[in-house]
Amino acid sequence: MAKTDALTVKQIHKQIGAKWIIRDISFEARTGDLVVITGPNGSGKTTLLRILAGLIPKSRGQVLWNGSEYGLDHGAIGYVAHKPMLYENLSVYNNLRFFGRMYGTGSKEWERELLTLVDLWHYRHEPAAILSRGMQQRLALARALVSRPRMILYDEPFTSLDQDGQRLLRGVLEENRPKTIQLLITHEPQLMEGFCYGELRLKDGQVQGGPYGA
Amino acid sequence: MVPNYWNKVFLIYQKDLKDEIRTFSHLLGTLVFGIMLVFIFSYALQLVHLETDSIFPAVLWVSVYFAATIALQRSFAKEYEDRTLDALLLASGDRGILFIAKFLCSLTILLIFEAVVVPLFWIFMGVTGYNLHMGLFLVSLSLGSWGLAAIGTMLNGMTVQLPGSRLLFPILMFPLLLPLFMGAILTTQGAMLGEVQSVMGWIFLLLAFDLIFTISPLLLFDYVLEG
Repeated sequence: MAKTDALTVKQIHKQIGAKWIIRDISFEARTGDLVVITGPNGSGKTTLLRILAGLIPKSRGQVLWNGSEYGLDHGAIGYVAHKPMLYENLSVYNNLRFFGRMYGTGSKEWERELLTLVDLWHYRHEPAAILSRGMQQRLALARALVSRPRMILYDEPFTSLDQDGQRLLRGVLEENRPKTIQLLITHEPQLMEGFCYGELRLKDGQVQGGPYGA
Repeated sequence: MVPNYWNKVFLIYQKDLKDEIRTFSHLLGTLVFGIMLVFIFSYALQLVHLETDSIFPAVLWVSVYFAATIALQRSFAKEYEDRTLDALLLASGDRGILFIAKFLCSLTILLIFEAVVVPLFWIFMGVTGYNLHMGLFLVSLSLGSWGLAAIGTMLNGMTVQLPGSRLLFPILMFPLLLPLFMGAILTTQGAMLGEVQSVMGWIFLLLAFDLIFTISPLLLFDYVLEG
């Protein structure tokens, strides 16, 4: 059975210049939870995810992993950003291989399994540049999974995905559910139909509602 | 097995260098620019009949500086433009890893540039080098390039997320490089004259400068990349 982890976000704030991008956001999530973050443009969703990924610092507050402020190893976070973040000159396979080696989790079998999962095994020798936007997004999904993360952050992952891609992503969300905490930003909550999830609704950098914000 | 610090440095270094070789146009552009400088300086200096051995160090380092402003702008800019910086930051964990790998790649590119351009300068400027101290000459090139690569990498990391970064980079680089520039020119001159003792002070200054600008970004790179 997978280890149960707990993410605790306590009153985090983010200020850029004179503007507060995020104000007083608190919530908790455990392994198995799927938190869907919604809200209008500029409400601080991406900033919140980037703080949780450790990509930008918070101005105030705490992010605790199993009760400890620095308890989450960077390799334990999978991050699917709004843009695919791929090396376009590298082949599909080498993109995945590079990150697999960086995390120390790469192996030929695992990389093959991931590329098969996102239906890109046949494109493995092609440079990432020639892939369509939707295929690049699928490769980004494989890259986020290569480290065998314990928390996965998705920033509008449905963007550019066709129906097959969306089905694939839903499968990934379902399959990873028992072993990870998943946080997902979307403007289209209807795509999450059929999932049992908690919602965190943001507006102007603050939690407006949803079970997580209640 | 989780790779250690230096394994990760090597992986990023290897990726960047392969990318430079694969997209040969940038490296080629820098080399062509260097070769053009060789011809322009050689032609201009022949017109005024100056003693080439004595002005060679200054001409050489001015050329290396200009080439470096082109070559070193890419280290972080490419990751930023391709939006791969976030993925790399997550995968490397320690941002110092990123600095060291990018610095080593920049240094390698500078050394490749010098390996091509220095012999050409030597030939086309008609440098005699009767008293040349080869060891000191190589030390001056190495220490000068080390400092140039370290400052270039640090500044590229600092400015990459700012508007007008391509303009800011050379403007900020020059004043920071002045002490290194002086040290490198005078040490190279000492090597040309075969006077090792007289430039020992400058060698220590270069070494101290290089160490400071390699170690301080390592400690501060978390803040540098926050933008």
